[in-house]
Amino acid sequence: MEDLLEQLLHGLTLGSMYAMVATGLALMFGVVRLINFAHGEFFMLGAYAFWFSFKELHLPYAVAGVAAAAAMTVFGVVYQRTVIRAILDRTWHVQLIATLATSIVMTNLAMIVFGTQAKEVPTTLSSTVITVGGLRTTWQRLLVVAGALVVFGALHWFVTRTKLGKAMRAMSQNREACAVVGVDVQKVALVTFAVSAALAGIAAALVTPLFNIFPDMGALLALKAFAAVIVGGFGYVNGAIAASFLIGIAESLAGGYVSYAYKDAFAFLFMIAVLLWRPQGLFGRRIGI
Amino acid sequence: MALLEIRALTKRFLGVTAVDAVSLAIERGELVSLIGPNGSGKTTLFNCITGYLPSDAGTIAFRGADVTGAPPHRMSRLGIGRTFQLVSVFPRLTVLENLLVFLQQHQEESFFGRLVRSPRLRRLETAAVERARSLLALVGLGEREGMPAGNLSYGQRKLLAFAAALMPDPELILLDEPAAAVNPTMINQMKDHIRMLHAQGKTILLVEHNMEVVMDISQRIVVLDHGQKIAEGTPEAIRRNPDVIEAYFGR
Amino acid sequence: MGLPWIVAAAFPGQQRYLLHILVFTGLFASLALSYDLVVGHVGSLSLAHPAFFGIGAYAAALLATEAKWPFVAGLAAAVLAAGAAALLIGVPVFRLAEHSLAIGTLGFAMVTHIVILNWVDFTRGPLCVTSIPRPSIAGLAITTLPAYYWLTLAAFAVAAVLYRALTTFRLGRAFHAVRDNEPLAQAAGINPLKYRMMAFSIGAAVAGGVGALYAHYLTVLCPEELTISLTVTLLVILFLGGVGSLRGIVIGAVLFTALPEVLRVAPTWRLVIYGSLLLAIVIRAPEGLDALFRRRAPR
Repeated sequence: MEDLLEQLLHGLTLGSMYAMVATGLALMFGVVRLINFAHGEFFMLGAYAFWFSFKELHLPYAVAGVAAAAAMTVFGVVYQRTVIRAILDRTWHVQLIATLATSIVMTNLAMIVFGTQAKEVPTTLSSTVITVGGLRTTWQRLLVVAGALVVFGALHWFVTRTKLGKAMRAMSQNREACAVVGVDVQKVALVTFAVSAALAGIAAALVTPLFNIFPDMGALLALKAFAAVIVGGFGYVNGAIAASFLIGIAESLAGGYVSYAYKDAFAFLFMIAVLLWRPQGLFGRRIGI
Repeated sequence: MALLEIRALTKRFLGVTAVDAVSLAIERGELVSLIGPNGSGKTTLFNCITGYLPSDAGTIAFRGADVTGAPPHRMSRLGIGRTFQLVSVFPRLTVLENLLVFLQQHQEESFFGRLVRSPRLRRLETAAVERARSLLALVGLGEREGMPAGNLSYGQRKLLAFAAALMPDPELILLDEPAAAVNPTMINQMKDHIRMLHAQGKTILLVEHNMEVVMDISQRIVVLDHGQKIAEGTPEAIRRNPDVIEAYFGR
Repeated sequence: MGLPWIVAAAFPGQQRYLLHILVFTGLFASLALSYDLVVGHVGSLSLAHPAFFGIGAYAAALLATEAKWPFVAGLAAAVLAAGAAALLIGVPVFRLAEHSLAIGTLGFAMVTHIVILNWVDFTRGPLCVTSIPRPSIAGLAITTLPAYYWLTLAAFAVAAVLYRALTTFRLGRAFHAVRDNEPLAQAAGINPLKYRMMAFSIGAAVAGGVGALYAHYLTVLCPEELTISLTVTLLVILFLGGVGSLRGIVIGAVLFTALPEVLRVAPTWRLVIYGSLLLAIVIRAPEGLDALFRRRAPR
């Protein structure tokens, strides 16, 4: 029984990570209608930024985490201003190829700069095993889940209470109307990207003490995030979050009870299964984030 | 038995009932127009009939056989041709090729025959080219047969789309706003073409906003409002129908 | 195709290296043609091609080393296996809306990679399949480099002829109709799913065949061969060579296979350059590139 619960807890951890990354993806699609194939690399760069701050600059954990998030926010802005602006009004095929190309460039540059050897960033929180209610885990895993909840809470507040956030919501529902009414569409797009990138950076800071860092870690993560976004109903953030947790738990259970080697394949199989059953995703094509 | 029989067809979108239990029967050889104010569900009904939208309730029967839910390519093969409201061509194919595409599916071919280009296939192709040329001559595009369709003007594309729909010699032709966005000369051309088709024995259903055209050529008119059929009859009867007048002007 | 002799005369002493490059170029050109069938002619942005290449390569390699099948039988099996995989994955994936096709095919490619990497008992995983025998057709052993060159040339010729047959005349018209305006193609009686599946599975089958030839050429086969880098290289060949054009793709294959080999560019830098080029061309491209992907005319 404990084993099952531990797997579930692990699934929650995975789900939190996927959810933070998937939310960024869903936001970009929902607000700006953009498919960003380089999103996995946001996470990868965030992980390296965190590693650099923590391991090389010897900053304390929290500061390194903030540094990673800040670095990614800047990166998100730069990315939007350069690549994204050029492809925003093009067909999705163009957006896909462009972001895919960017992803490959970033992955390979990371290989050149950081080398292909995996890097580890253990923290005191991740290396000490504790027992909570009879279950073995680490503080870091609990931190991931808690962090995700905090982040989602903050995001929800941002989107419902602030002017910019409300503009994001409005844009996801009706972009043309927004432009007419005077919403600064470019600014909202920029903010959306900054937020999505920051989310990836925060996720990286929370999660990398648990896993190794290597240049092509983004690809698999992105695929799972995409699966979550599709299953949740493209562009519907709550759906993506729910689907992420489902995928995290399914993967953990499958990895623990079926096959550890192929656990990564389960997200994909789950996605295909759901789509065959309900092509519009579990929550349908909701309009708006 | 009516050629096209629609019974209680319903289509809903996110809580809005776009087509509400509409029933309609079109006999062979009729020329029927479907009219109604904006948002009355005419194009939605069209798209349901031609297979582009799945309906939520009701049935569609063509030549007595149930075709509810059949995909558009099957409807085409059964003998229903259509044009689109926003004129649709294959921009990178030539004018001639645009027409040839419409016939090739209706000519029998085997898989390997396609790859190998048998003599039989060549004969079919020659026949198709002849038919295409005669249709192009009919609509006045004969001289542009080698041009990419994307280079044509809007009006020319409209004529091309019209000719293409006629290539497989469909029994029932659905025209989606044939008189929209074209100049008066073209409108008269269209009316002549439609009348000619009718005289050849084709069955025609058209959706149209241009009242002058509708009143001029229709045998029968069906009026939709808010997804429901509110009137049906000859042009004269419709002209005087209080419900119709109310729907168009009385809001 | 006396090209190699001309070039060999100009660069004496480099014959072997040259032939090696030509073999690689020939294989990649054939692969690019098979990919162009799907992307360029029927307009489906599939990211699964490396998987089909890999399935064919591994099928041939394993059948030759484990089951001791003769080359031709292994090649046939590779082609059929890849084609069958395409049919299997195509049915669910082509019913997905738009972008989901790309993600679905990408997922399939990644899962195939994962399976091949981890199923060590069967595929040897990271240990690679080694000692793949040189091909032998009807008793004629293809062990020398020039012989392999002729084999590749023959394969390329087959690929090119097939490509031409499928993209011209009525079938080509049907593919292009589905690509350029799917709703209108439906109105013309064309079943888009049928044609997309046709292009997809034939493209996959050819990719599988190329994979088999590749495996036999290198005599060693590792899972690294089937990653997304291959897709990016293919996309670069297509877009910078000329989507939908036989000649353009051959030029692209020469540019992006031969040149980097000759210049001895490291794989990582190669991909950085390819990615940047792809990005640049996709952004700057003249209307032609967008028009390629505008398959839905307004209704």
